[in-house]
Amino acid sequence: MRVNFGLNGAPVTVDAEPYTSLVDMLRDELDAKSVKKGCEQGECGACTVLLDGSPVASCLVLAPQVEGRYVTTLEGLEKNSLMIDLREAFMENGAVQCGFCTPGMLISAYALLRDNPHPTEREVKRGIEGNICRCTGFTKILEAILDAAERIAPE
Amino acid sequence: MEYDKILEMLGRKEFLVVGKNVTRSDALDKVLGKARYTADYVPRGTTLLKVYRSSIPHGIIKRIELDEALRVPGVEGIYTGADVTGSNQIGYALPDQPFLNDVKVHYAGDPVALICARDEYALEAASEKIHVEYEELPPVLDVDASLAEDAPLVHDGGNVAVTTRIRKGDAEKGFREADVEVSDTYWSPYQEHMYLETEAAYAVPERDKVTVICNGQSPFLIREKVAHIMGWDLNQVRIIQALTGGGFGGKDDQGPLVAAYAAFAAHKLGRPVAHVWSRDESVKFSNKRFPARIRYRSGANSEGRVTSIEVDITLECGAYANRSPFWLWRQTAHAAGPYEVHNCSIDGRAVYTTKVYGGSFRGFGDMALHFAAESQMDKLSYKLGMDPIDFRLRNVLVEGGRTTCDQVLDHSVGIKECLEAVRDASDWASHREPVRDGSKVRGYGVGLAYHGISTSRSTPDWSAASLIMNPDGSVTYRTGIVEIGQGSPFGHAKIVAEIIGVDPAAIRIELPDTDSTLDAKPTHGSRGLMLGGTAAAKAALKLRESMVACAAELLEVPSGRIDLAEGRAFDRENPGTGISVRELAEEMYVRGYDPAVHGFFKAPERFFDPETGLGVNYSVYTFAATVAEVEVDTETGEAAVLRVWPAMDCGKAIDPLMVEGQIEGAVSQGMGLVLMENIELKAGHVINPGFKDYVVPSSMDTPQIEPVIIVEKPYRYGAFGAKGVGEPAIISVVPTITNAIHHATGIRFNELPIRPWTIHKALKEAGN
Repeated sequence: MRVNFGLNGAPVTVDAEPYTSLVDMLRDELDAKSVKKGCEQGECGACTVLLDGSPVASCLVLAPQVEGRYVTTLEGLEKNSLMIDLREAFMENGAVQCGFCTPGMLISAYALLRDNPHPTEREVKRGIEGNICRCTGFTKILEAILDAAERIAPE
Repeated sequence: MEYDKILEMLGRKEFLVVGKNVTRSDALDKVLGKARYTADYVPRGTTLLKVYRSSIPHGIIKRIELDEALRVPGVEGIYTGADVTGSNQIGYALPDQPFLNDVKVHYAGDPVALICARDEYALEAASEKIHVEYEELPPVLDVDASLAEDAPLVHDGGNVAVTTRIRKGDAEKGFREADVEVSDTYWSPYQEHMYLETEAAYAVPERDKVTVICNGQSPFLIREKVAHIMGWDLNQVRIIQALTGGGFGGKDDQGPLVAAYAAFAAHKLGRPVAHVWSRDESVKFSNKRFPARIRYRSGANSEGRVTSIEVDITLECGAYANRSPFWLWRQTAHAAGPYEVHNCSIDGRAVYTTKVYGGSFRGFGDMALHFAAESQMDKLSYKLGMDPIDFRLRNVLVEGGRTTCDQVLDHSVGIKECLEAVRDASDWASHREPVRDGSKVRGYGVGLAYHGISTSRSTPDWSAASLIMNPDGSVTYRTGIVEIGQGSPFGHAKIVAEIIGVDPAAIRIELPDTDSTLDAKPTHGSRGLMLGGTAAAKAALKLRESMVACAAELLEVPSGRIDLAEGRAFDRENPGTGISVRELAEEMYVRGYDPAVHGFFKAPERFFDPETGLGVNYSVYTFAATVAEVEVDTETGEAAVLRVWPAMDCGKAIDPLMVEGQIEGAVSQGMGLVLMENIELKAGHVINPGFKDYVVPSSMDTPQIEPVIIVEKPYRYGAFGAKGVGEPAIISVVPTITNAIHHATGIRFNELPIRPWTIHKALKEAGN
């Protein structure tokens, strides 16, 4: 079946089986390789993307469900100023180790700071609760997100 | 080369980049989502491979029926042990592990066949059409059943895979000298690595060669195992290690297997094959942390000195010995903990069962061992009426002290400083009474650890690295030490940068590729920075010599006056006279100064007496001490780690931020083992194969980690004094938390994990 949706600001059409997951469609058909497969059970957060602006586990979304909707992956936020702040804060605070959770983590952090630019530490913890990191123990990730919040230019 | 003199040798007063926080060079690709892991290399449409595994824990294979499966549309080939041309044996320490089982299966998950097909649906359909006829044998599901006289044999040689022993001093005499004695039995369970990236390999065959992109922890071991299975020479197998999404030891063990499945099938099929594990496969079938039961008896005199220990270790191998001889030896060799104990009697055995096999996992036996040893130290202190930290301070190893194995530590011993630092930072003395707040009660605990770096006993140990100065002054670096998150290769780049005076960012770190990278041995045993970094330093010193000689000729000053810093070679006595590395590099080619070098480092010889277990076992040890505050809710039984004060003697912190990162990650993973994580088995089958049922710490569980205290007692013979960090970081965490739970509740839990219902039940029984 044909699925039409917006990916990172551009319209795309993909021929997909109705049982294809969004993560597979993004990685295999659209080369959005920043989206990682960690569990395919909706539990690890590595495949987090924005669907109509909200973070979702793309392994739990089927291709037909994105018909007519908007999907954003890390590739689509390369020049976004909030994402640039987040990237720099992640690098400078040592929040990146193996890097496999990083794209999904950044997407969740982006959604959090977009909606709540000055969160408390507890709100940050909640915001990335669905993203597992097995390397850092989260400490430097939490510090990086709080640091990024400090960097956001006042409007 | 003695690295305590390195600054003098470089003619500098202080380091340029070593010891400073520098953003690691792989971070940018990772935050951009452009870092490529194994599965990201697989082209669309590549043939997929799945391992068909035994459905029973123990049995003889009578017949394997493939015809029906081969007729499934989309199936391209199915291979069994009968198709193996080289050796069908892939055991690590002992030849007990078939590559593809065709005689007997030893756990529910043993590989029986490799299925190749165009997509996952065909793989699944074919799996259902393979019929294996077994003569079922009784399963062996725990160590006691395995050691029973009439136990079914898991392997022909008997159910004990290996034994260890240490006899030091006179243990019985030591107990006669003791005023107090404590004994207990401790159980440490399976733990699953749960790296975010599952095991994967992508193999591309040629007529007489195969290239595998994969995610192990030793490209050279993988090459050796693949060549062995194929019956080929090492130069017919090319292993390229992609960036890897976490290892923690698990991929050291699984890497060779996964690569060998893919390489073998690709060769048979004559086209590329991709093999990417699902999470379900990863949890059910990859090796786990070896479970261990440790019986521990220790005695101390009224002056607060430990007089004797008697330790009995039973390690559960599972279906295969895998790394158990090394793991068990490490537990045996570290049995006294970081203390000087003159009388030690230690026995260990590794025992087969018909369950998923154990294997490498960060800490490598020392977590279970220190859980027991540090619980014992706590108990002794309480029994003597002494403060747990004061008591430990009377016993800790100091320079000139002797380890469990009677190894004299002549330098680089910082455990006393670590312990005093966490005592002071946590204001320990003010927290000697548990604090009750409604239903919640808080306590403080302490835990110490030491961990020998790299391999033990007389196992030869070396590392290698190579450097190319390109004609434009950019630098290409190759190491066989792999990037699995820990960042060792970037640590090497900093060491190189320090020696040749360039920006670490100017050094490009190539992926390990066995066709062009020298054998550096594995990335395990916390050796990646210490051993790999020493080889890097040796290479860089050679390149520096070439650069200095060329610059001396160009600048017409004696070579002794040339320094290299900030991308320039210059006259120390006249710093304005100099040349950029970019210009120098080209001149090196023009004037014939070797621009390509390799460094090869052979670790100092060690020796060991197999009869007594005594000798020089490890080149050096890393030391760690932690204090933690834990809160227990007496109504629900929930325990939470609130604050942690970590300290570590890591010799020299090449990058303090990365040392902190290792320690913080270790706190989380260690906390997982103590409070949350548990592999559930039913009749030998793993029944919780996912993040939903195998719960690991999330952001919500993160404790407050106080500033990491780094103690630097440099190791004289390596890498600017650096000692390994990754494993030592996790070991002390376990007993710290358990000792804090005891402090809060007055109850000792000797079996891990300690989950709410266990605490709740114990509190109820204690009348709380």
